[in-house]
Amino acid sequence: MAVSDAFANMTWYEWIAMFALGICLGALLFHFSRLIRLGRPKDRAPAAGRVAPAVIYAMTGAMNPAKKETAYLHLPTYVAGILYHLGTFLSILLFFLIWTHLPLPLYLLLFLSGFLVVSAGCGIGILCKRSFRSELRALSNPDDYLSNILVTLFQTGTLLTLYLPGLRPVYFLLAAILFLYIPISKLRHVLYFFAARYHLGLFFGRRGVWPP
Amino acid sequence: MTNDEGRMTKDQLTREQIWKGLEPLRGNGDSKLLTHLNSCVHCGLCAESCLFYMATRDPHLTPARKVDLISSIYKRYHTFTGKYLPALVHARDLDEASAREMVDLLFGACTLCGRCTMHCSIGVDISYLVAVGRNMLSNMGMVPATLQSTVQAAVETGNNMAIPTGEFVETLKWMEEEVVDEVGDPAARIPVDEPGKQILYTLNPREPKFFPLSIAAMAKIFYVAGESWTLSTRMYDVTNYAYFSGNNGEAALIANRLWNEMNHLQAGSLVLAECGHGTRAFRWESPNYLERGFPFPVMSSVECIAAYIREGKIQLDPEKIKTKVTMHDPCNLVRCGGIIREQRYILHQFIRDFVEMTPGGTDNHCCGGGGGMLSMSEYNERRMKAGEIKAEQIRISGAEIVVTPCHNCVDQLIQVNATFKLGVQIKTMAEIVADALIIRNQNP
Ligand code: SF4
Ligand code: SF4
Repeated sequence: MAVSDAFANMTWYEWIAMFALGICLGALLFHFSRLIRLGRPKDRAPAAGRVAPAVIYAMTGAMNPAKKETAYLHLPTYVAGILYHLGTFLSILLFFLIWTHLPLPLYLLLFLSGFLVVSAGCGIGILCKRSFRSELRALSNPDDYLSNILVTLFQTGTLLTLYLPGLRPVYFLLAAILFLYIPISKLRHVLYFFAARYHLGLFFGRRGVWPP
Repeated sequence: MTNDEGRMTKDQLTREQIWKGLEPLRGNGDSKLLTHLNSCVHCGLCAESCLFYMATRDPHLTPARKVDLISSIYKRYHTFTGKYLPALVHARDLDEASAREMVDLLFGACTLCGRCTMHCSIGVDISYLVAVGRNMLSNMGMVPATLQSTVQAAVETGNNMAIPTGEFVETLKWMEEEVVDEVGDPAARIPVDEPGKQILYTLNPREPKFFPLSIAAMAKIFYVAGESWTLSTRMYDVTNYAYFSGNNGEAALIANRLWNEMNHLQAGSLVLAECGHGTRAFRWESPNYLERGFPFPVMSSVECIAAYIREGKIQLDPEKIKTKVTMHDPCNLVRCGGIIREQRYILHQFIRDFVEMTPGGTDNHCCGGGGGMLSMSEYNERRMKAGEIKAEQIRISGAEIVVTPCHNCVDQLIQVNATFKLGVQIKTMAEIVADALIIRNQNP
């Protein structure tokens, strides 16, 4: 079914999900435009290095797991986190695919399903770690658990709906809840992550620390 | 609910204190604060990047807890969830309990070293947020009295150790005699308050107070380089503890004195003594405190010495120091100040057996004495415990001499050396360079 057909035949639960998605994107756009409006800090100290290469480095080389203690000292968590995030982006992609009923070749369907099994498993693993490690539990708030549970459910829902079209109402309602939750929860780091890396590049770039 | 004195009966803070405390969270007109307050995902992976957690294994001392403390207060007053569903995000009021916790964590368990910032899985500028938290506490009048008294001494007397001018001048005269003896030239001098010189040099007040030989060491270097330089008796203090206390007004006042002294003496350029935070506070922060750019060149003494070597103005004897040497990188000079290669360039000129600490450079561990910790005696025990990380690094290096271009680090390392029985010598860059300096009489 083409996108125009998908629009023409939208069910009530699809409307709800799309409406929620619109609110989510609108809210994220609001956050983004606020950051742009506020702009970067005015630094009157003469720069010792260049900002552009440092920002690029902040988004690339500085993310290299060999450079980050948070990655190389916690390799299983790091790998799980990467797979989990990839699974989330894949699920969002598949959300549109499910909505438009576009068929997938069997080999691709099997590959993507396998990936979602792994990524959702990683989500559950991260949730277990948060629940059972005392120092992480002490740091966590209900939003940390809820964000994880919603995203993991979304990935699982995506996987199941690929095979069980009867789950579509539940799936789209679940997606709607997730979309509405993103801008008011820690999930908005989907936007702030990039802003944080930018500011890091700006800071260390001006000071001549990055790129190394 | 308030009592008769207008204080909040529940939380003991006045409304005015809370209002002033929240002021830094209202934003300073750019997107940096908003970004970092909204970015932490509570992964907790930064714990092992912080010396306080590593040394104590106390989960309360992790960088994430420090970020959470500030951002939970931010959320309470500035986000939809924090305002209407505070329990969901553990949003907290700014009250007596949260303010006390802030004092303990942000002043007493963080040196603003920035190591966690570089390693954070998201890129949260943790030390920046800690500085914002300190700014909040400063606005509330909750800076630890010990740190505030150091700032106060600088504000009231012109130097953070309240050294009387007469005593300072006496010390300089004594050191001048040292220099004369060492270079064998009766005309060698430590110039004071001389206008129109090429360089105005600064000092960390610890030098005239406890380590005057480091003044003589730098004077020897200037002598051999044939430099035109002077010290000032009115304003020589390179430190700015108000940067640590979070009082931007006082930080601006202290920085402004150095600007004024440059103008007063009409010096060509300002050379900042070996002091990590002093260099950072002046080189990187003061133009923003004072809202104007430098009208004169500013450099650290490390850059100055490196330039002398490059230009052939001084020569160093590689036969002088035969023992193994390592270097501690001051966080404010290196990771947060970008002076990374110059100190290595200097040491490689004359140290045969140089070994880097692991990790080193921009990834170094803080010595534990930064962030004003050295002046906050109430945290001495925690500071020394945190110093264990550096002690282990030094021990592993196998070095007999530890060089560090920062007098605050020197102080902490001397205590680390004694506490952990390392048996090493601690030296500033000027001291080790002066030890190997090939002396040429400038007035033969
Ligand atoms: S590593 Fe960064 S994102 Fe993770 S808990 Fe620490 S500060 Fe937060
Ligand atoms: S800035 Fe340094 S001392 Fe402070 S939390 Fe980070 S690693 Fe620890």
